[in-house]
Amino acid sequence: MIKSETSKFGKPLYILYPGDYFATDGDCILGTITGSCLVICFYEFRKKIGGMGHFIVPGAIGTGGIVNDDIAGSGIASIEHLIGELVKLGGDRRFLRVKVFGAGYNSGNDSNMTIAHSNIRFIHEYFAIEKIRIDRSDLGGDFRRRIYFSLKDNTVYRQVLKNNEENSEFIRLEQEYIDIQFRNKRKTGRIILFE
Amino acid sequence: MNKYIMVIDDSPTIRISVEFALKDLGYKIQHAENGMDALEKVKALVNRKEDIALCICDINMPEMDGIDFIKKFREIDRFTPVIVLTTESDDERILEGKEAGASGWIIKPFQPADLIKVVKRFLR
Ligand SMILES: [Mg+2]
Repeated sequence: MIKSETSKFGKPLYILYPGDYFATDGDCILGTITGSCLVICFYEFRKKIGGMGHFIVPGAIGTGGIVNDDIAGSGIASIEHLIGELVKLGGDRRFLRVKVFGAGYNSGNDSNMTIAHSNIRFIHEYFAIEKIRIDRSDLGGDFRRRIYFSLKDNTVYRQVLKNNEENSEFIRLEQEYIDIQFRNKRKTGRIILFE
Repeated sequence: MNKYIMVIDDSPTIRISVEFALKDLGYKIQHAENGMDALEKVKALVNRKEDIALCICDINMPEMDGIDFIKKFREIDRFTPVIVLTTESDDERILEGKEAGASGWIIKPFQPADLIKVVKRFLR
C-alpha cells in the first residue's frame, strides 16, 4: 500500500495493492484496481469507520459450502484480517455494511471463469452467514475495475477499465499475488504451542 | 454428563467451520461471539456441573477480546487448555496470550486436519 497526502480528492489517498487490507477512522480515500480479485469496502455505521480489502479465493469451492471447504478458508481469513483491524478501531461486525467489486474474468478462458464464479458464490455465502448486508454488488464481467472508496460518506466510485496497457504494472502485481495464493491454497498459518 | 468445547469467535463463519472440523471428536460445542458472552456461557456450564474440555478462542472481538477472556477464564479455571485461533500474528500479542494462560496459538487460515491435531494433543 502507498499513501499520498495530496491527491485530486483533496484528502489523503491510500492505494491498496493486490492482497492488501486497510482499516481507518480517518477522512480519506482508499483506491485500488482489480481484475479477477475481489475488492470489499466495509463501512461500520455506528463508529463511522471503514476499510478495504483486496484478495482472491484461490480455487473452486466444493458443493459442501464455504464452512466445509479448505480453499474457502483462505478467503475467510482474508476478510477476517480486515474485520480484525476494524475491531481494533472499536468496530463491531454487527454494524457493518459492505460493497463488493471485482471477480472479473477473461471470457475466452474457462478455468478463469470458473474461478470468478466461485469467488462470486463465496461472497454471497459468506455475507449471508455473517448477516452483513451487501449494499452494492458489482461482480463478474469481462473487464477490470478501478475503485475509489470515500470513507467519510461511504461512497464508492467505480470505473470500468478498457485499456489494459495503462495499468500494466497493477495487472502484473495482481497476477503475481494470484499465483502465490494458488500455490498456497490449502494452508494453515503458523502454529505455536506454549509448553 | 457432556463434555464441551467452547468455540469463541465473533465470526459465525469461523465458529461453524470450527464446529464442522471437530464434529467427529464426540464433544458438544458451545458457541460464544465475544469474550463477555463466553464468560457468561462458561459460568452457566460450571453452574450446571458440565465439564469444559477445551476452549478455542479468537483474539480480535468486540466487547471483550480474547486476551481479556483468557485472563478472566484463568481466574475460574487454571488448567483447561485454551487454544487461540486468530489472524493476529503480532509477536507482542502472542506473548500476551502466553502470559494470560493460553496453551497454543494458531494463525488463520486453518486446515481442519491441523486444527484436530492440535486439539487432540491438548485433550486429556
Ligand atoms: Mg475476530
